[in-house]
Amino acid sequence: MSTLLEKHIVELLQERNDKAISLLYDHYGDTLLGVANKVLRNEELAQDVLQESFVKIWKKADSYDPTKAKLFTWLFRITRNTAIDKLRSINTKTDKEIQIDVSDVYNLGVDSIRPEFMDVEEHLDKIEEKYQIVLDALFFQGMTQQEASDELNIPLGTIKSRLKIGLRELRKVYGPAMITFLLNIIG
Amino acid sequence: MKEKIKIFLDSDLLEKYLLGNTTEIESLKVEQYIAMYPEVRETYNELQESLEIFAKLHAVKSPEGLKEKITARIRSEHQGRKRFFRYAIAASFAAVMFAGASFFFWNQNQDLQEENTVVSNKIKLLEADMKQQLEDVRNQFIVLNNPSTKKYNVKGNQKAKELKAVAYINPVKKLSYINVKKLPHLPEDQCYQMWAEVNGEMLNLGIIEEGGDGQNLMALPYAENAVGYITIEPKGGNQNPTVDNIVANIAY
Repeated sequence: MSTLLEKHIVELLQERNDKAISLLYDHYGDTLLGVANKVLRNEELAQDVLQESFVKIWKKADSYDPTKAKLFTWLFRITRNTAIDKLRSINTKTDKEIQIDVSDVYNLGVDSIRPEFMDVEEHLDKIEEKYQIVLDALFFQGMTQQEASDELNIPLGTIKSRLKIGLRELRKVYGPAMITFLLNIIG
Repeated sequence: MKEKIKIFLDSDLLEKYLLGNTTEIESLKVEQYIAMYPEVRETYNELQESLEIFAKLHAVKSPEGLKEKITARIRSEHQGRKRFFRYAIAASFAAVMFAGASFFFWNQNQDLQEENTVVSNKIKLLEADMKQQLEDVRNQFIVLNNPSTKKYNVKGNQKAKELKAVAYINPVKKLSYINVKKLPHLPEDQCYQMWAEVNGEMLNLGIIEEGGDGQNLMALPYAENAVGYITIEPKGGNQNPTVDNIVANIAY
């Protein structure tokens, strides 16, 4: 995304102009919905979370500091945290009421790539799954490398090298131009 | 220094910071490293880009109507806020007005209370004064009207031949008065003062006002064998009588 657009959106946000929300939704809505979906694995809940996240984004606009993070990083943090809070509240409720083991934030592995999300995941087929899993642990599950090593039963050194390669591949294969192209297909 | 950066990058702090999972202290440390070391800054920026790329690869097409739902909700919150501010301004204004009015009335009340105190004090003083005067007049009347009251004519000596006064003494009621009828004129810096010698002590009875209407009775302390004196003293009166300046005496 262009930095110019980012700047424009930030200006509108801080002027409390609600056009900012429309622009944010057009450019980041699908991606943020994907983020919420990754955490919750439930489209309906993800949509609720997206709504709550946008309200938070609107209310917290003053606290965004462009020198500390890119706009997307800030949006991602808010959406992911809102989704995690939602998941926790559902888990607590479920534990109390039905005692069903709901997969939690740190549940990871083959499970996280489910058939119902394959239409999304297929865009990632240019990156080997072993790298995808590590990237997923880092970006979505918020694991430390040590935690990923423990959880996935992979030596720490391997995690480190896979992460390095995964990040490099990601940037090489899906540079900004490629991303725009892919988003156009989705859209 | 290289080692320090390597250790920092090897730790997960930068990744935790990226996702907003760091504590406040950790965030400060990360922000310091980002500001100080270009290598760290570059890694952080690459991570941010990778995050955006990776997240976009997981984008989910949002359903129809969700955008409208979200924008409508935010617009209504925005309106609510605006309305809240409008009410807040109105409420603040009303509060200021109320405070102003309260202060004005409080102030006025305070002034009136003060005035009230002054007036009631004045009334009390007047009352006391009146009672005193009435008491004086009654005593005078008793003395003057009493059959056992004796009247003495007092005349001035060589120094004040014109002085004429009348003293009334009542040994039964133990009250005495003097009425100074006529006083010779004195220079500006002098005055007449009344004294009484009671049991060997000189008591100051006060200054006799010149030019009075000749109707003023002065009370004299009563004692057996008391002597009253009138002296000429410097203006304003004296602590002790100037014996040389005695112009009249009344033995009673």
